[in-house]
Amino acid sequence: MRFGLDDDDDDAREELPALKARTCRTWKHDTRQARQRSIIGGSISIIMNGHCNGKASDVAVEQFHSSNAFPELSVKKAAHRNLQEGSRKEEEDQCRLPSMEAAYASILRELGEDVDRHGLLRTPLRAAKAMQFFTKGYHETVDDVLNDAIFDEGHDEMVIVKDIDMFSLCEHHLVPFFGKVHIGYIPNKKVVGLSKLARIVEIYSRRLQVQERLTKQIAVGLSEALKPRGVAVVIEAAHMCMVMRGVQKMNSRTVTSSMLGAYRDDPKTREEFLSLTQN
Amino acid sequence: MEHSRQTEFTSNDGKDTRDTTLVVNGHFDGVVKKPSAALQSPATESGSHRSAASVSESWKEEHARSVEDNEVSLPSLAAAYTTILRGLGEDPHRQGLAKTPWRAATAMQFFTKGYQETIIDVLNDAIFDEDHDEMVIVKDIDVFSMCEHHLVPIIGKVHIGYLPNKRVLGLSKLARIVEIYSRRLQVQERLTKQIAVAITEALHPTGVGVIMEATHMCMVMRGVQKMNSKTITSTMLGVFREDPKTRDEFLTLVRS
Repeated sequence: MRFGLDDDDDDAREELPALKARTCRTWKHDTRQARQRSIIGGSISIIMNGHCNGKASDVAVEQFHSSNAFPELSVKKAAHRNLQEGSRKEEEDQCRLPSMEAAYASILRELGEDVDRHGLLRTPLRAAKAMQFFTKGYHETVDDVLNDAIFDEGHDEMVIVKDIDMFSLCEHHLVPFFGKVHIGYIPNKKVVGLSKLARIVEIYSRRLQVQERLTKQIAVGLSEALKPRGVAVVIEAAHMCMVMRGVQKMNSRTVTSSMLGAYRDDPKTREEFLSLTQN
Repeated sequence: MEHSRQTEFTSNDGKDTRDTTLVVNGHFDGVVKKPSAALQSPATESGSHRSAASVSESWKEEHARSVEDNEVSLPSLAAAYTTILRGLGEDPHRQGLAKTPWRAATAMQFFTKGYQETIIDVLNDAIFDEDHDEMVIVKDIDVFSMCEHHLVPIIGKVHIGYLPNKRVLGLSKLARIVEIYSRRLQVQERLTKQIAVAITEALHPTGVGVIMEATHMCMVMRGVQKMNSKTITSTMLGVFREDPKTRDEFLTLVRS
């Protein structure tokens, strides 16, 4: 039984018994309990980066996903969500601050700095709060953000929101990576408030991330919420872990994309999206 | 910028009665004066293990963190990062995070490797006697530092110009001086000044100008969240400070 699989760990996924829908609980709940008790109705839930990685049972959604060859989860309805979650987690943030502060003070000491000098006096607290801000996406869910901004319009042409600034943290080095996200979708009678696209980006990017997973999560989060005809997400980012250290290539950029539905099936649609976002 | 202190530059071989040496960030804080008995002003941070020495001696005698120190600190750094991951609510055992504490610790040591290096090691043999007294500029030096207040990157460019006084410096050494001071926990103002003063101390040129423009991730990724803001600081010493035309020439050549 393996948990915390990477998205692209196809072999491991095939070894697992058929996945069934599971109630989506908070990831925190999951990490406390689900590792011992994550088999529900014969399914195994794989928790990763705050989202379980199981196949949804809903047929339409399953078909949608099976065209991706990438089973990912399911943001379930708000009924399963504890809407008090947000405030509870914020309180927990406060409780955890002292231990994080102490950790940062220890880091400063081990780096050879003088923790008592004027400029560093409150740095552990500031750094801990900054880090909590950079991972505030763990507090938020797509449902909370989208709940009331889905509108029935008779619109079925492409909608693109591009050049959304994105800031995230590399989960391997805890160093920022940042760039721009371009999102396009073809509504299926339901459109979403435009800023909600940027909010979805915020939710997933303010976490410890891998760019590939981030792209996929944004695409899947949007497609689950809206069930559009297609979703396309392209992210172009600079990774400070490559720029500031390691190979030190200043001008390198990483581009990842996720094409679902009509964007995946129809090259012309994909081309239209790409040409509208690239200019 | 401390104008009153910088005017000491032109008479830096005179006795400087202003004797506050502030040891900050492993280095003197830009007071240029002749080597004299070590003085520790009450304003300095007590408990600093970098002893306050005179400015011109301090960078020659600074205590550098060593590679062995790094190895010894790595386990506790990694443990601190594991605590941080747990504090954020993540699971340190999931596959993507399994070795993250070690990687993050090594990365942070790299970002502060300026503490391991000393100016004297970098400069020792690259000062040449040339009969050159025209402006030398090295611009668009990429600089990466860490904000000492939030431990978040500062990313920008540095432009350095100096008017040699018969002694020139290997060009890459200017970039290396930038590296030594930038790879520390810094404040942009202090970084700019430290670069300028180090060049001054090494070469005793007629003048030095350093301009830095940088983006602070602590302002872009959090807090006010202003994406396109840039912070520009500069330090002008010697003739760059005194003569507006020289300064103008420097600024024009840097902008072009």
